[in-house]
Parts: sequence; C-alpha cells; structure tokens
Amino acid sequence: MSELLSMKGITIEFPGVKALDNVDFSLNAGEIHSLLGENGAGKSTLIKCLTGVNHMDEGKIYLEGKEIRPSSPMEAIETGISTVFQEVNLCPNLSVAENIFVGRQPMKHRQINWREINRRAEELMSRFHLDIDVTRPLSYYSTAIQQMTSIARAVDIQAKVLILDEPTSSLDENEVQLLFNVMRELKDNGMGIIFITHFLDQIYAVSDRMTILRNGHLVGTYGIKELSKVELVTKMVGKDMDVIFNLKRADVKPDSRITLQANHIGDSSHIKDISLTLKEGELLGFAGLLGSGRTETAEMLFGASRIVQGEIILDGTKLNLTKPFDAIKAKIAFCPEDRKRDGIIGDLSIRENIMLAVQSRKGFMKPMTRQEQTDLANKYITLLGIATPDCEKKAGELSGGNQQKVILARWMAAEPEVLILDEPTRGIDIGAKAEIQRLMLEMCGSGVSVIFISSELDEIIRCSNRIVIMRDREKVAEIDGSSCTQQDILKIIAEGAA
Amino acid sequence: MHNRQSLLNRITNPKYIMVYATIGIFLIVYAFGAFMYSDKGFLTIRTFANLFIDNAYYGISAVGMTMVLITGGIDLSVGAVASLTGMFIAYGTTVLGLHPMTCILASLVMGVGLGLLMGWVIHYLNVPPFITTLTGMFFARGVCSLISRESIDIHHPFIDALAGWKIYLMKYANGQWVRIRPIAFINFNVILFVIMIIIGTFILQRTRFGRNIYAIGGNEQSASLMGLPAGRTKILVYGFNGLCSVLAGVSYALYVKSGWNLSLQGGELEVITCAVIGGTLLTGGVGSMIGTLFGVLLKSVIPALITFNGNLLSWWGKIATGLLLLLFICIQRFVVTSAGKRK
Repeated sequence: MSELLSMKGITIEFPGVKALDNVDFSLNAGEIHSLLGENGAGKSTLIKCLTGVNHMDEGKIYLEGKEIRPSSPMEAIETGISTVFQEVNLCPNLSVAENIFVGRQPMKHRQINWREINRRAEELMSRFHLDIDVTRPLSYYSTAIQQMTSIARAVDIQAKVLILDEPTSSLDENEVQLLFNVMRELKDNGMGIIFITHFLDQIYAVSDRMTILRNGHLVGTYGIKELSKVELVTKMVGKDMDVIFNLKRADVKPDSRITLQANHIGDSSHIKDISLTLKEGELLGFAGLLGSGRTETAEMLFGASRIVQGEIILDGTKLNLTKPFDAIKAKIAFCPEDRKRDGIIGDLSIRENIMLAVQSRKGFMKPMTRQEQTDLANKYITLLGIATPDCEKKAGELSGGNQQKVILARWMAAEPEVLILDEPTRGIDIGAKAEIQRLMLEMCGSGVSVIFISSELDEIIRCSNRIVIMRDREKVAEIDGSSCTQQDILKIIAEGAA
Repeated sequence: MHNRQSLLNRITNPKYIMVYATIGIFLIVYAFGAFMYSDKGFLTIRTFANLFIDNAYYGISAVGMTMVLITGGIDLSVGAVASLTGMFIAYGTTVLGLHPMTCILASLVMGVGLGLLMGWVIHYLNVPPFITTLTGMFFARGVCSLISRESIDIHHPFIDALAGWKIYLMKYANGQWVRIRPIAFINFNVILFVIMIIIGTFILQRTRFGRNIYAIGGNEQSASLMGLPAGRTKILVYGFNGLCSVLAGVSYALYVKSGWNLSLQGGELEVITCAVIGGTLLTGGVGSMIGTLFGVLLKSVIPALITFNGNLLSWWGKIATGLLLLLFICIQRFVVTSAGKRK
C-alpha cells in the first residue's frame, strides 16, 4: 500500500493552549483510518488544519509526496481533500443533483447543462444503490440521503482524501450499513478515508487502522486487530476503565411511591395511547429507532406539545400542561435532544445558563442576587466537573460534553421531581458519557425520577430500571432493565410486540 | 429506475408549488374580473396590455429585488434610487441642457456603484441588509432633495420620442394587417420589462452566478464551505439590483415625464410585495422570474378591477393587496413547515 497523505510534527497553538503538540498522522491509499479521541483531544483541530480552516504553527503536510499548505476549504478541495461534516453542509433548497454540482456545473454553449447534471447525479446516486428523483429539493429527503449527497459531491470532485466527520450520528442502523458499503467501495477504488465517530462498534466494523489522540498529543497508531475495545477506551481517556463502566443501577424499592403517571396520552400528530408510570428514584429508559415517537412522548410530558387525549398525573394530581412553564412549575424538567438549538444559550455565560430554570420557577419578580447566582454556578461546576476557568465563560465556547453538563446543572439546580433527558450523551465522548450516566444515577439516588432517552442500547441497558420500547409511534413493550440484552430489545424493535 | 422524465413527476416537483399558487390566484382573480365586468371590456387585450404599461417600472425593479430576496437579503433603496434617476434626467435635460443619455449613464454609475457599495458593506462589514439599504435609501432620497425640492418637467425630443413610441397590436383580417379594436399597444417600458424578465430568468437558471444566488439563500455557510464565492455573488447581486432600480427610474420618468424628489415614496415596498406574491421567500433560497412576472400582474390587476367597478374607493386596492400578501405569507409558511415535517 502506498502512503497517500502524511502529516508530520503538526503543532497548533491557540492563545494559552497547545491544541496539537507534534502530532504525526499518515493515511494510505485504499484505507479507512479512524481518528479517535475524547472531545477536546484535537481531532477537529487536526482536520481543520488539513482542510485549511486552522493554520499550523509547525509541521508539514504531504499529499502524494508533494508538500501542501491549504489555506482555505476551497484550496483543500482543489488539492483533493474533501470533507463531509456532521451537520449536512449543503443547501436544502437546491435539488439533490444541483447540490452535487453547484459551483462546477457542466456547461454547454456557455449555459448550464441541466440534462447532463441530472443524468450524472442519477448515475452517482445509483452507485450508492439509491434510486431517487435527483431533481427534487434536498430538504425533501432524509438526513441519510443528504449525507450520501454530500459524499457523492466529494466523490465526483475526485477527492483523493475523504474526511467523514461524525457522519453516522443521525443515521439509523440500515442507513449506517448503506454508508459503510459506500465507504468500502470507495476504499477499493483507492480513496483514502479518514473516519471520525464516537461509536466504537462502527470503528471496528469498517476501519483498517486507527490513530488515537489525547489532550493534543499523539497516543499512537494501531492496526484494527491490535487493540481490544477496552484497551482502546483506556488509551483514549487515559484512565482505568473500571471507573467508567462500574455504574450501579438505581435502587428502587417495590413500594416506592409513583410520581408520574401517564394514561393513554396522545398528541395531534400520530402518537396515540401511550401509558407509563414512573416511581420515585427510578430510571426509565426509552428505546426505539429515530422517529419512533420517543421525543414526541417526552415533549407531551413536558407540555411542549399539546395532549389531545389521555391524562398526566403527578403525585396524585391531574396536570393540565399547555406550555413548558406549567411543567417547570410542577417540577418536571426536560433536556432536549438538540442542545445547540433548544438547550444551551451560547451567548450567555455558564452562570446565566445554569440559573435560568431556577429563576424561571421563582418568577422574574424575585431576582437572585449576583452572589447567589455565582455560588449556585460554582457549586455545580465543581459538582459536575465542568472544565472551565470560571463561571463567566460563554457556554457556547465549551465542548459538547461540558455543554451537556451545564444543561444538566440547570435542571439539577431547579430541583425537579421528574427529569426527562433526551439523548443527553449524543455526540460526546466516552469519558464524558460515563460521567453523565453517573450523574443521572446519582440524581435517582437522591429521589428524582428520571426518563432517559437514548439511541445507544448499551447505555440504556446499563442504567435503566425499566425500559419502554417504542416503535412506529407506539409503545410496544416495557421490559425489566436488569435482565435483558441488546438482542431482546432489537428483536422487539424489529418485530413489534414482545 | 425512477422515472424523473415523466411529465407528472416533473409537474409535481415541490419546488414549483409557489409559482403554481401565484399563477392560480392570478387566474382566479382575472376570471372573477372577466365574469363581473366583461360587458365593460375587462377581457380585452387592451386591458391586459395596460396591466403591463401601468406597472412596468415596478416590474423592472422587481427583477433585481427577486434576486436580492433569494440571497436572503432585502433592498430598501430601490424607490429612492429610481426617484434619484428621475431627478438626474429631469435636472440634467431641463436645467443643465444635457442629453438624456448622458443623464442615464450618470444614473447608471450612481445606481450600480451604490448597489456594489451596499453589497460590500453587507458582506464584509457584516451589517444587516435592512440597515445598510435603509442608509442607502436616505442617502439617495437626500440627494434628490438637494437637487431640487420641486417637481421638474422633462421636455426633450429624445424623451418625447421614446415615451411616445409604441407598437400597436395588429391582427390579420380580410387579407391585410389592421389594428385590433379597441386599440391596444405596448411601449418601450413594456419591452424593457419583458427583456429584463428574460435576462433575469437566464441569469437565475442558466448561469453559475445565478445558481450561487440560490445556494447562498439556502445556506450561506454551506455555500462557502462548498467553495462558492459568497461575497462576490452578494456584491454583484446588489449591483445588479442597483442597475434594475435605475432602469425602473428611467421607465418611471418616461411614464410621468417629470422628476420629483418625493416620487416613488414607498415604492420599495410595492416592489417587495410584487416579488413576495410572486412566490419569493423572504427568508431566501426560493423564487423565480416567472413567479415575479405573475406577481406584478396579480398586484396590478386589483387596481384595474377597482377602476372597472367604478364605485369603490381606490384605497380598497391597498386592503386587497394587504390581504393577498397575508395569504401568500401563510401559504409560504405552510409550504415550509410541511417540507420540514416530511423528514
């Protein structure tokens, strides 16, 4: 195998920190190479350096033996390095075909040749076994197809190096397999692929080698068979795995009182007839595919979407939830799935983000003093181990895991009785994940009832007392968390009722 | 294989929904007029041609405005720039004795220059388009009043010839061409409007520059990451809109044959209305010239209906236009949300 790309001694300094310190990286032609590390380890910085977004202070990059120094994304693309980002970076209003060719449309008589664009786009998509109408707007299709479109664009540009930055975080199982098939096909054609993901199984499923970074330093490059999963995680976090995986399920006594009860609730879309009960100090997991109705159910419990049938009972009293504020008053808290959009307010400081829910419940006529706010924020910063110099840092500048902790802190400070967490561990690294799980379980220990929504079955099984399984916007089963396996759940999701 | 060639599939492509809505509502309103006032001659070609003649200057400006709106921006300076063009022509020919072409040339330099400058400020200084072009509007309106605070008539053989030039619509009857009855004609303004619509369509559909406009309106950050020249495109769009404003000003000057510092006040809002009821999304990314053409016709058929009725106050026209605008904003909202839900 020939070496396609090589990065030597890359050092990047930001004011105050060395984001990358003398890191080497190498990629062969026809190889899928995973890049691993916790958030803040320097993966994105390395990628940004390669794509010309960040500029390196020291080091050299060689592509096919020639030194390159990309200074903008455009230049990187021209030298043959294409990137598919986690969030789809295409234009939703343009057609699928146009998204592949915009900026470099084939011309005929100095006019855009639409026939050619559509024909070639169809050819590309059929290579990925997608039989779709490429003339429809991109927004008409699912995220998976949008990702494929993004990859098709990179393929058609004839990229030599393709960087896939968390491409699977919003795909379901089948879509991930489809993506992997495409990746393998591209690899067989001699393309070098850099693959970044938080899903360890996926790394083992598809890559040839992996490079691990930690705190801006290179830990090492290994063949896929050289390291077991546990060894890999240990190298990534630099801590012993026992600390991470030794979590104790919440302890619920059979006679604990029921805090929240939902009877046959449904909303105006298609969610119908969901019933569940939640005991004091219990952790109830919600499993199911994306779009199975997990989030919609949570939103109903929080008053974010209107209930048109059924009733919700909290501590024996029927609740009339018409807006989230009603739920907050009733001590129900909700951390939404998309923390950037619905949770964290990036321009406010950590202190302000944490105090929001407390203040909202107290009412704005009784403002907290600055000292109270600072004390509150500092308490949770220490308690949750939020990595920040002080509580006045803007929340938007924190890493994903730390932002998630700030949202958790916001609701912990509000002392809720019921806490609903929608995908709290999505897109954060394994160390932070374990810590979020630990915090969740600690809250259960102090008597809070928690509803935990996640697409990762292993963490649902690890933490939940009971697991509700959703499928096609219906609750299909409820099983005991301590005595089930991933296979059990997958089988129920695949086949319907237990 | 998915058959994208099939006619039905092409017709049902969701990207055309807004244009269908515009054309559909125009046909309904027109049919209503035909039903109510056909005895007064609403259905004649003359009435139809007058829709173009009386609104050509708005239409010309709407061509540039559509592009600006597709990028996700807005331009409030178009009315003032058109008015300033009228002042340039009126003051230049009547007071200074210059040839009108010289005045138009100077207006073009002024209008395109101001447009490019505003585009530059919007992109590189990151000032919101609303504020930037509001400044441009006050600037242009101010210069109008500096030139003269009274209306100046335009008397120049060139302008008279251009304004008076018309093509009569003919029909072939009894072996010879005769003018149709009642007499109908189109003039220079109408031809300019139609040419601008054709040029606009060509730019938007057939050039990379045009497609970049859509891409930027769809998601500017993505467009830059795909390597599209976002800055250059935006600056040129505002420049082109400046050109359209000046041509609209020329057309308006030919229509009223005078220049006045307070003419076309609020004209920018009329122009934006035309584009929006023509299916252009104010949030950017969606719009078309054919939609804008029908938007202009739809907006201008309402005053025509009121004239034909004869008993209604002309202000009812404003109310009807307001309702139309509301209707279209609701349709857009519906289309946008239903597109989001399908995922």
